[in-house]
Amino acid sequence: MMHFIECLASTSWSIALRESLYLYPWIESAHVLFIAIFFGTLLFVDLRLSGYAFKKLSISEMNRKVLPLSIIGFILMTFTGFLLFYAIPIRNYQNLFFRIKMFLMILAGINALYFHWRMNQEGKVWDSNSFIPFSMRCSAALSLCLWSLVIISGRMIAYNWFDCDKQPQSEIINFLTSCVVQTEFYEALDGI
Amino acid sequence: MLNKILKFTSIYVFCFMSNYVLSHHAFTAEFDANAPINITGKVLKVEWINPHAWVHVEVIENGKKTVWMVEGGTPNTLIRNGITKNSIKPGVEIIVRGYQSKGKLCLPRCIANGRDVTFPDGRKVFMGSSGTGAPRDGADPRERR
Repeated sequence: MMHFIECLASTSWSIALRESLYLYPWIESAHVLFIAIFFGTLLFVDLRLSGYAFKKLSISEMNRKVLPLSIIGFILMTFTGFLLFYAIPIRNYQNLFFRIKMFLMILAGINALYFHWRMNQEGKVWDSNSFIPFSMRCSAALSLCLWSLVIISGRMIAYNWFDCDKQPQSEIINFLTSCVVQTEFYEALDGI
Repeated sequence: MLNKILKFTSIYVFCFMSNYVLSHHAFTAEFDANAPINITGKVLKVEWINPHAWVHVEVIENGKKTVWMVEGGTPNTLIRNGITKNSIKPGVEIIVRGYQSKGKLCLPRCIANGRDVTFPDGRKVFMGSSGTGAPRDGADPRERR
């Protein structure tokens, strides 16, 4: 895996992005904007599903209106996010917060799949008797929590506290970030 | 009325907070405002990369060699301030003022946040980022009074 990441980092496009004057900050800003579109529209669906707001609108109607925007937001957010990763592959790959973020995104994805699977099967029943099962309300709350944590951990990637080039770190951290510390470092440490 | 108050406070909070959020990562998270540095040495290499450029400087003091890795702004902000790939290249003797990182082990090299850099021709240029919460030491010409 590390070999693949190093290959990625040595491609000319990655270097061009990394050293770019305008493209990198533009992609960064666009990423944040698309997160706002995705999370903003998701908020509507989740608030409706949890039963807190927009009760006059049926769930399927809410989905029909808002979901296309969420999907567009998600695609563009993922695309710009990939470019940001591609610009600085090695540091991001070994970043603890990046890894936490990916893990949380997988959980959020499973939760979303579960919601849409249930929605396809029982959506009409929910609309007709305006009753939302407890498990679906939990799923909506979980979705909001997970995506909020994804955004927070995404923001934390900028901080270098657990970076591989910043040693000494505890063994657990180095394990979690697949960081291999050069032996010269420990030799130098012994000399102190 | 309540609505109006809410609106104004949210706009105020947004404007006030965005000052911090839009800046990069906060200075105090990684650097020590109480550990100012003033180093003179030769540029070893410059990593001209986003989101922060890094200038590696070799400092020789009392016959002891130390390498400092100095964080600068983005390539874009550096160019705007007048620091180019040609002006800051390996071999050039520079003076850097800044603040050391919280960790001071200097292994394998020391890390610092750069504030300004002085070139051999005496030109002194701000090399950091504005609005990170770094001490107001006058290095940043855009600093608010």
